[in-house]
Amino acid sequence: MSVLEVRDLSIHFGGIKALQHVDLRAGEWEIVGIIGPNGAGKTTLFNCITGFYTPTSGSVTYRDRDISKLPVHRRTALGIGRTFQNVGLVKNATVLENLRTAQHLQVGYDALSGVLGVPSTFSEEGRISRRGHQILELLGLTEVTSARVADLPYGVLKRVEIAAVLATDPDLLLLDEPGSGMGPEEAHALGDLLLELRREFALTIVMIDHHVPLVTRVSDYVYCLNFGEVLAAGTPDVVRTHPEVVRAYMGEDEVDSSTDATATQVVPV
Amino acid sequence: MDGLVEELAIAMTAGVLRGSVYALVALGIVLVYRASGVFNFAQAEFGTTGLFAAYAALELWGWSYPVAFAFGMGVAIAMGLLTERLVIHPLRNSSKVTLLVGTAGVALAAIGLQFWLFNDTLIMTMPKISESFYITPWGAPVTAQALIGVGVLAVVAILLALFFRSPSGLAIQAAQQEPVAAELIGISVRRVSMLTWGIAAALGGLAGILTGPILTFTAAFLSFGAFAALLPGFMAAVLAGMRSMPGAVAGGLLVGCVEQLGSLSILSERVPGTGAAVLFFFLLAVLLVRPNGVFVGRVATA
Amino acid sequence: MTSTLDDSRTRILEPVAPPVQAPEPADGLASESSGSDQAWRPSRAGVWARGFVWGLLAWFVLAVPANILSPFELGVADVSAATEAVIFGIVGLSLNILLGYAGQISFGHQAFVGIGAFTSAYVVVDLQLSFWFALLIASAVGALQAGLLGAVSLRLSGLYFALVTLSYGAFTEQTVFGITELTGGEGGKSAPRPTGFDSEISYYLLCLGFLALVVFIDWRLTRSKAGRALAALRENPRVASSYGINVKAYILLAFALSGMIAGLAGALLAHHEEVIVGSKFGFQLALLFVLMTVVGGLRSRSGVVIGAAFFALLGSGKLLEMLDKPLSAVGFSLTEFIEGTVGLPQEFVPLVIGPILLLLTITLYPGGIGQQIAPVREWLLGRRFDPHAGKVEEVTVNDVRA
Repeated sequence: MSVLEVRDLSIHFGGIKALQHVDLRAGEWEIVGIIGPNGAGKTTLFNCITGFYTPTSGSVTYRDRDISKLPVHRRTALGIGRTFQNVGLVKNATVLENLRTAQHLQVGYDALSGVLGVPSTFSEEGRISRRGHQILELLGLTEVTSARVADLPYGVLKRVEIAAVLATDPDLLLLDEPGSGMGPEEAHALGDLLLELRREFALTIVMIDHHVPLVTRVSDYVYCLNFGEVLAAGTPDVVRTHPEVVRAYMGEDEVDSSTDATATQVVPV
Repeated sequence: MDGLVEELAIAMTAGVLRGSVYALVALGIVLVYRASGVFNFAQAEFGTTGLFAAYAALELWGWSYPVAFAFGMGVAIAMGLLTERLVIHPLRNSSKVTLLVGTAGVALAAIGLQFWLFNDTLIMTMPKISESFYITPWGAPVTAQALIGVGVLAVVAILLALFFRSPSGLAIQAAQQEPVAAELIGISVRRVSMLTWGIAAALGGLAGILTGPILTFTAAFLSFGAFAALLPGFMAAVLAGMRSMPGAVAGGLLVGCVEQLGSLSILSERVPGTGAAVLFFFLLAVLLVRPNGVFVGRVATA
Repeated sequence: MTSTLDDSRTRILEPVAPPVQAPEPADGLASESSGSDQAWRPSRAGVWARGFVWGLLAWFVLAVPANILSPFELGVADVSAATEAVIFGIVGLSLNILLGYAGQISFGHQAFVGIGAFTSAYVVVDLQLSFWFALLIASAVGALQAGLLGAVSLRLSGLYFALVTLSYGAFTEQTVFGITELTGGEGGKSAPRPTGFDSEISYYLLCLGFLALVVFIDWRLTRSKAGRALAALRENPRVASSYGINVKAYILLAFALSGMIAGLAGALLAHHEEVIVGSKFGFQLALLFVLMTVVGGLRSRSGVVIGAAFFALLGSGKLLEMLDKPLSAVGFSLTEFIEGTVGLPQEFVPLVIGPILLLLTITLYPGGIGQQIAPVREWLLGRRFDPHAGKVEEVTVNDVRA
């Protein structure tokens, strides 16, 4: 049983076919990478998987359960966590508050009891605070625990977002461009972080990113999307050298197998 | 059954006449919304302010009717410009809801001022422009004043349509759609904003001064106040999709008629004030079913 | 990556990423909130000072109205005005839940209060049930109608919903309150005091007790997951739902809670005035309620209560009276000045002052009264005195769909 299965997914916005017949699978503890030029539909795919968009046709299955009709918050409850391209955090709150908010589903009391001030609320609040601190410590974010999210730099926020999504206790992690804005060394460190997180939290990870070396290094399987379609799928090396993928990144004129042998035939690193 | 048909006919006539006032208010609301995306909760108060000013000029200071009318209009327009200066401009980068609260504050200030200045005047009447009075073939009473209101509406509607084809009118639309680009080609967004609010206030003032004389009024009891004219005006604007000027006219007339349904004897004998009930459910129905408006013609703007 | 910390500390997991630097505080001051959670404790003298001020507040709120240990001789009318201020405070807190926490605009709050008032009167007079039961019913009715409006708000953007609330207010005032069997028409409906609470001072204390209850509920709301859910969804509903928050359910919860408290306030108001008329709940009251909440300071409990009390006392003329007492020493009467020289009858003062304060609040002091008193409030709660506490950048009545 695979953790995530996307079958024949298509979505149209008016006349625009954002996704067409996309198939994708993520097995237990796999790291699956998604690459492709801008506008290929990668984030749209995430939005369909998490429930922000309703696909025109096709299905999304999580551990053999069809989640195509579930609202977003119920998919989170099942264990699907997700980060956003533009950093999805509550900007006016502190980092710790975000972590506490992210543990919404783990809190032991219901909303009404919370309002009435039932005794268990106090102990539960303490517990999720402690857990929040632990996660922040894990990611080296202790210094910014009480800082307001809006005051922090972009790079730090990317890490805060990972902390927040970990706080939701996910089983499947969808990361939308976790490496954006990073240089090669940072991206490498991020790769180490992801491998470590997979190990510590027993996660299955699906990630979109433009850092091809990062994706190639950590992924067990890679999909390349372009114009809403899966261009190629396979192990990282296969995809990297796939002619269609090269053409998508390099443009039509560049790929011409009849020219001299020194022409690059792989997606550049 | 015959009585009911006659009643309906009378009600519809009253509805159209009253609706012309709502249409004038709606035109102002749509204008402001198109120019700045703001719901102007003070639109009706432009009218009441103009009315009170005209009243003061006419009854308290003894000026002639035309001059008093012009004075009332002037005060209304001044109020509009002041609103733009003190509330709209400082808040131009705030959320639309904050701006709404701002206009609500303006409305309250106007109400406060009216109470302050006129509270001791118990009953106020204003003479109509013409005291004539007709009865239609189906028994509906029609005052010349009301007919003048309809006439003014027609003239205003045509003038506005023409205005929006003129350079200034196009400038307003440009400034609303693309403020930065408009500034680059020399349109002063600031001036456009003031122009918009001035015109909207003038429309409100017209509506107020024309309806005032129809009934007696006091500061506390206006036939034109917030609930009486603002709400129906907004309803009409909603019907016009908050965009279409002709739609605002059609919407105003429709709302006027719908409101009259509430005063049909079969209903109003049981419960007074059913007009407000009818309007509430009508508003809900329109917003939930056709949120983009009903009378939205082929308007060549976004 | 291994931990560089002492191994004697038990860890569940080892840090996997290098630590990050704390940011520079924006205003250059070492503010209380940055840094670790190590509690700063006030000095001995500090504790005494704070205790003294708390005592002063308690004396002002409890002893003075009861004329115990107080040099002021407060009459029945004064205590009555104080009760009204307390009830307005409850209304302000109720509207704050909608406006401040959930980011929903409502120009129909006077309808919730009014319906609560008439419901309670009806239950006591017509159904012959006890006052306490009436309070319960009024609260439930308030919650129900607010919940229904909340369901409507889910389908509409903020501006259009504001219109619906305005229309609801008109509908309530003109149609519902026009039903004479329910509301007693022009003469109003009687709403007698409950047994044992006939005197002004006892009813005042009763209302004060309810205010304390509402403050408690509000406090727990903001400190619990519901409060965090609302804070998240009013800023960014997408992120909120990806945190597992059922956005629609929480918006409805906010409406229901707000309506419930408004209904309670209405019931308390009805039995305070002993006769209520429908015409009291008109457009002006709708605007005034929104105004006092915004001027009080959105999301600031103490600010909202003070703002509401301020407007209530202003409207009943008591504030001017209170200010006149010290001013009379210099032979100046504020009341006379305003009523005589300026010519403004004192019941309309809120209508004139209100919009001016609103304008100041939304342009210059977005945090309202709450922002101004924040340094004192933080100090009273045992924190270091920080003149920059409670800084707010903009009045945000967030409706992300507007």
